[in-house]
Amino acid sequence: MAALCRCRHRWKRNNCLHVLTRNLTGKYDYDLVVIGGGSGGLACSKEAAQLGQKVAVLDYVEPTAKGTKWGLGGTCVNVGCIPKKLMHQAALLGTAVKDAQKYGWQISGPICHDWATMADAVQNHVRSLNWGHRVQLQDKKVKYLNLRGSLLDEHTVRGLTKAGKETLLTAKNIVIATGGRPKYPTNIPGAMEHGMTSDDIFWMKTSPGKTLVVGASYVALECAGFLTGIGLDATVMVRSIALRGFDQQMAGLVTDYMEAYGTKFVKECVPKRVDKLSSGALQVTWTDTHTGSEHKDTYDSVLWAVGRAPETKALGLDKLGVQLKKESGKIIVGADESTSVPNIFAFGDIGEGRPELTPTAVKAGKLLARRLAGHGKELMNYDNVATTVFTPLEYGCVGLSEEEAEERHGKDGIEVYHAFYKPLEFSVAERDASQCYLKVVCERGGDQKILGLHFTGPNAGEVTQGFALGLQCGATYCHLLQTVGIHPTCAEELTKVNITKRSGLNATVSGC
Amino acid sequence: MAHYEEVTVRGYDEFSQAISERKGKDIFAYFSGNKDAQGKSWCPDCVTAEPVVRGEMTHLPEGSVFIYCQVGERAYWKDSNNQFKKTLKLSGVPTLLRYGTPQKLVEDECFKSDLVRMMFTED
Repeated sequence: MAALCRCRHRWKRNNCLHVLTRNLTGKYDYDLVVIGGGSGGLACSKEAAQLGQKVAVLDYVEPTAKGTKWGLGGTCVNVGCIPKKLMHQAALLGTAVKDAQKYGWQISGPICHDWATMADAVQNHVRSLNWGHRVQLQDKKVKYLNLRGSLLDEHTVRGLTKAGKETLLTAKNIVIATGGRPKYPTNIPGAMEHGMTSDDIFWMKTSPGKTLVVGASYVALECAGFLTGIGLDATVMVRSIALRGFDQQMAGLVTDYMEAYGTKFVKECVPKRVDKLSSGALQVTWTDTHTGSEHKDTYDSVLWAVGRAPETKALGLDKLGVQLKKESGKIIVGADESTSVPNIFAFGDIGEGRPELTPTAVKAGKLLARRLAGHGKELMNYDNVATTVFTPLEYGCVGLSEEEAEERHGKDGIEVYHAFYKPLEFSVAERDASQCYLKVVCERGGDQKILGLHFTGPNAGEVTQGFALGLQCGATYCHLLQTVGIHPTCAEELTKVNITKRSGLNATVSGC
Repeated sequence: MAHYEEVTVRGYDEFSQAISERKGKDIFAYFSGNKDAQGKSWCPDCVTAEPVVRGEMTHLPEGSVFIYCQVGERAYWKDSNNQFKKTLKLSGVPTLLRYGTPQKLVEDECFKSDLVRMMFTED
């Protein structure tokens, strides 16, 4: 008898009372609850609030294996785009100072870089962005909760503090924008105990020293790039190819430049184990997959850049039937960011097949908020999204890679216009411009619609952005020819490109 | 007895002195244009913000310090080379900031009691 009473009391407290509350008021605590306070989650929640929705956003950062953690804003703000670009800039400035002497600047001795000064400045800027986001959310009346969110049912989100204290929120619609985290290799002894990831490097207070970067993604190359640029000994260990998914000719130019400028590359090798020596240094043993032989070397730091995993494990998605793509673990989403559960949506890095980029997450989030608030039906357009890899020689691109264009239209269906050019500024600085290159991949017939545009050179991001507008408007090679270049710039070479790969002619541009 | 220490200073030197005497403490600083003999500041936004900021001071953390700093006359403030602009990087008055952190509320942000409260209660 007593047991029966106990059971009923528990059920009433946890379930029944809650259901009663919902039914009595006839509505939910919130119109929208967003799980994830990164680029996507913040954009979505702020837009929804501006449209009059009652919105809450949950953001929580599980510390890394090394204990690194950060504030509101997600990957981009804290451990991605922002600190990356700032450190890339630090490295570029180092190169610029070296060039400066040729331009007449009298610099007394060899210049050296202090990691702590850079890291402090970068970290302070990131913290000011965290604060800026807090103020924005508060100002736009978005309820912010620093809790680990998960789904209890289609309309209930549970938030947990670090200590395990629970808060329940009910919502008409739920949006998942939890993004991803760097992967650690699973089969390499010592990987997690001794190595770090991109989540850690930007928050280090002391220099990482001689670093081995394992991986050949843009994360790996960008990190190795700026480490080399600030004067550190950096090595990239590549298993097979660099910048998988990107145009491989361009990838080769990027890595060739890095090698010429001092980044070491260990190719076709896989790490076997990482041990910590009594000196504190890390000894990495690896296998050359070509010869089968084993090699060792010591480093101060090992940075794993071997891919990112979606943050879906602790969300409770399987219980609700939200379908995930088996291979990637990401959430399967429709063109309108919907999931297999009617009122649950997902977008940003967590969405299967979506670009892992801030601007697409931001735009998709805003459009989703508008649709959910009943303001329009516009879907996110994921085509012709321009991107840039911020390696020492930057690579900007929009549209298809040459490989993709060939696959879709056949080698005979495309015309590739290309040129090797030399930035004017490199001349006085006596810098090697062998990898400064551009190509425009077009349809062969008709107006020669531009399918893809690729550029390696200084300020590649700035150069590419404007051309992305062109692709959006359906620009053709004819349009490009009609466009007058700005002189003297690197970008103007894109408006002058006229040698085709097909012709086999020398593609090196001479001066004006 | 308040749970925080309130300090009143005039000008940059007094402000620096107050900071250096309180190393390691959680310091909130509110910068306002000077008040005249009638107690009214030349800065209209400061006049609006002060009661809002004062209204939230009960939310200041235990053991913290609240520095009320009058920056100077209008002419001094307008000079872009003044110490507050150059060294502290203040862009306007009123400014409410948490010393040594990027937490800052500037001008009309100080009119919003919920933002002021957020700064005082955030860790």
